[in-house]
Amino acid sequence: MSLRSILIPFCQWCNNSFWGHGIRNSTWLFPFVEIFHLLALGVLGGTILILNLRLMGLRFKNEPVSELAKDVRPWMLGSLAVMLVSGFLLFSTEAVKMYGNWAFRGKMLFLLAAVIFTFTVHRKVVMADQSRVAPAVRIIVAIISLLLWTGVGLGGRALGYVTTSVSSVSSLLP
Amino acid sequence: MRESLWAEPIVETIHVLTLTLFLGFAVLLDMRLLGVAMKRRRMSEVLGQLNPWLFGGFAVMIVTGVVLFCGDPIAFYSTMVFKIKMILLVLAGLNVLIFNATIGRKVAEWDLNPRTPGGAKLAAVVSLVLWVFIISAGRWIAYALPPP
Repeated sequence: MSLRSILIPFCQWCNNSFWGHGIRNSTWLFPFVEIFHLLALGVLGGTILILNLRLMGLRFKNEPVSELAKDVRPWMLGSLAVMLVSGFLLFSTEAVKMYGNWAFRGKMLFLLAAVIFTFTVHRKVVMADQSRVAPAVRIIVAIISLLLWTGVGLGGRALGYVTTSVSSVSSLLP
Repeated sequence: MRESLWAEPIVETIHVLTLTLFLGFAVLLDMRLLGVAMKRRRMSEVLGQLNPWLFGGFAVMIVTGVVLFCGDPIAFYSTMVFKIKMILLVLAGLNVLIFNATIGRKVAEWDLNPRTPGGAKLAAVVSLVLWVFIISAGRWIAYALPPP
């Protein structure tokens, strides 16, 4: 069984779902959901940025990284949840088309990598006793995190500009 | 701007992604002002740590925003929602000035108190509401402008 044989029916199911229909056929629902996506982008990006600036020793130097992490974690998780839900709703309005959009594919790969990195390596370095992590390691981890999340953001911007679809999908589009 | 295929998407992408810096930090600051985030931290520390980057982000927003506007000033100016956004931006600026001139000046009196004074809470709520509408208006501009 190929990945394609799972993803295409899933995309079609999203397309045909009541929320997919509802948002697609409404003039104001799409922008409304998009604004939530955009506001959560600000908060999620802000929390990731401030944590990484701390890891690089550029902000809030007087306290351990883990203290700042405790402060911003609820905001990070909350905004990530809003991002994922609103993103899924937006995706459902044209899921099959998005499946064939190379920018969207890139965005999803970056998102997967960014989320895994954030909850494994990044989290471990953030929560670790500072004396046990070399400053160079902290800086490298911060840079990787910033690059991965920037990839997600750039993919999100790019998918609106990409008009051609991956050829294997074009036959499925109306 | 109009003559380059890439200039507009690049500037617009910088404008949108700088929201992470600008809006993200503004929300964190407003949440401290409301006494719901970073409660154990001194208000002056939060202001001192976030403000330089917050203002840096704001500068990038303004510069990229002006560049986008210059790409087609008449189209922007003839769009109602653009005018609304500009008025809200002025109000957000006034909110910061009023805060700095009043309750912000006396920050030493409530620096460590997680229960912030009413004036600080009011400034935070005004700021959050204004930014939600400014960003919504910004997104709306792209729908309201005539297609290129």
